Formats: sequence, structure tokens, C-alpha cells
Amino acid sequence: MMEDGQPKQEIEQEEKQKVIHGGRNLILLGIGSIVIALITTSISIFIYRYTGDIYLDRSRPGYIAEGEKRDDEDDSKEDFSNEGEVDKKALEEYLKELESIQGRINAHENNFDAEPLTDDALGIYGYTEEQEEFSED
Amino acid sequence: MQKRIRIAAFILAAILIFSPSGTSFAAEHRDLSDEEIGAISQNCSSIKIRLQRVQKDDAKNRVYLGSQYETIASKLMLNLNLRLVKNGMANALLAEQQTTFMSERDRFKNDFIGYSQEFETLLNMNCKDEPQKFYKQLEIVREKRADINSSMKRMKDIVSLHYQTIVELEEDL
Repeated sequence: MMEDGQPKQEIEQEEKQKVIHGGRNLILLGIGSIVIALITTSISIFIYRYTGDIYLDRSRPGYIAEGEKRDDEDDSKEDFSNEGEVDKKALEEYLKELESIQGRINAHENNFDAEPLTDDALGIYGYTEEQEEFSED
Repeated sequence: MQKRIRIAAFILAAILIFSPSGTSFAAEHRDLSDEEIGAISQNCSSIKIRLQRVQKDDAKNRVYLGSQYETIASKLMLNLNLRLVKNGMANALLAEQQTTFMSERDRFKNDFIGYSQEFETLLNMNCKDEPQKFYKQLEIVREKRADINSSMKRMKDIVSLHYQTIVELEEDL
């Protein structure tokens, strides 16, 4: 049988070849996608680390567990309106809000003092009995 | 009023000029004695456990303080300045305080990132086999921590000055 002047065998072979090419292309597409995904993910992770966002991201797995969050974390209720008059009453209200937040910050002003990283606190030269009790808690 | 503003501006400038910058001074590392080196090697695992605890506490404290500073900057200072402008009472000193506070808050954040990076390097070090190197890194971490502490103090000073400026503004009304 002839179709458009082409023998049937040739046509079948061409079709087979097309199928083989299609499969290969599909594999290449799959591999290509994986490679692109790996490259873009690596770049994203590099940027995430390089910019330091990794150290600020509280949702990072294993960083701050839900149960370890501070009880007083979301206690900021202060929000001075940017609308209205500026009179003594408004400024008094502003000062009150500022005082309240100042008080909370002052209560935590030693959070980054040197104490937790001193030789004694780290037990570099061995723990005292008191420190051992604390470290077991 | 003008005189008070000038004095307050002078104090603010003094805080900025004489405050230590975010950059750490070169570390002066001391050499450890054999006894100290032995102690670090021996207590390596317990030191690491303690450091991990400090790292977690620091992360929580940074989040807490960061949210407080953010509230001051965006919900108090910014809104007050906007309100003053809307009422035709724009105050250059208060605007300057807001800008200074915001840049100091950014510095606090960047100092914390630098500190965390050095802290992670410290935690990845082998204190059992390289105690001297470990201790040097610990000294670097301590300096970075001191930078954060200084930044917190500067922000505290700015807020105190801001408070005083508002009190004076209130008196003048």
C-alpha cells in the first residue's frame, strides 16, 4: 500500500521514531525541570542565609518552637492615631503609651548583656553545684 | 522653645557622635593556659548545650524587643509626626528623632544578624579538638553581643530624649 507516494513501512518507521523522540524529550524536560528547580532553590537558600533573614525568621523549623514563645510576646497595644488635633490631652495620651512601652523595654534591657556568655555561665572551667542544678532543669 | 530645640538637637547629635559604632574593635585574644585548654576540651559538650540554650533565648528576646521597637517607630513616632504635619505643627526635631530611631533599629537588626552568624560558627566548631580556636571565636561572639547591647542603650537614650521633647512641646501648648 502506498500513501501519498510513501511506502507503508517508511510511514510506520517515521511514526516509531517520533514516539522514541517524544519519550526522550519528556525525560530531558523532567531532568531540566529538576536541574532548574535545584539551581533556583540553591540560590534562594543562599540569599536567605547571606542576607541574614534565616536568623530573623521565627518560623524556621527548630528555631523557636510554638511552646517556647514568650508569654508576653504580643502585648503591644499602643497605637497613637495620626488623625485629630494636637492638644495637651493628645500629648498626654501619647506620653502614656510611650511610658508603657518604655517600661516593657526597660524590663528586658539586660537581655543582651555579657553575663550568659561569661566563662562561669558557660561552665567552661566546670560547673558549680548551683549551675549543675540549673542546667538539669 | 527655639533654644530648647537647639539643646535637644545638640544632645541627640552628641549621642550619635560619641556612641560606639556598630563595628567591633579588633579582638584582643588572650592565650589560654594548658589548664584552661584542658578544661574547655573536657567540658566541651556541656558548653555546647549551654550555648544552644543562650542562642534560643536570644532569638526569643530579639523577636520581643524587635516588636517593641517597631511599635515605637511605626505606631507612635511616625503617627505623631503625621498628626503634627496635618495640624500644621511639623516639628523638625521630632522628625529627626524618628529617623534616628529607625536607623538605630535597623542597626540593632543587623547587629543581631552578625552576632547570630558568629554564634553559628562557634556552635559548628569542635571545642574538644580545637579549644584555643573555639575560645577565640567565643570572644568574637562576645564582642558582637556587646554591639547589640550598645545599640539597645542608644535606642533607650533616643526614646528618653523623645519623651522629654514631647513634655516640652506639651508645656508650650
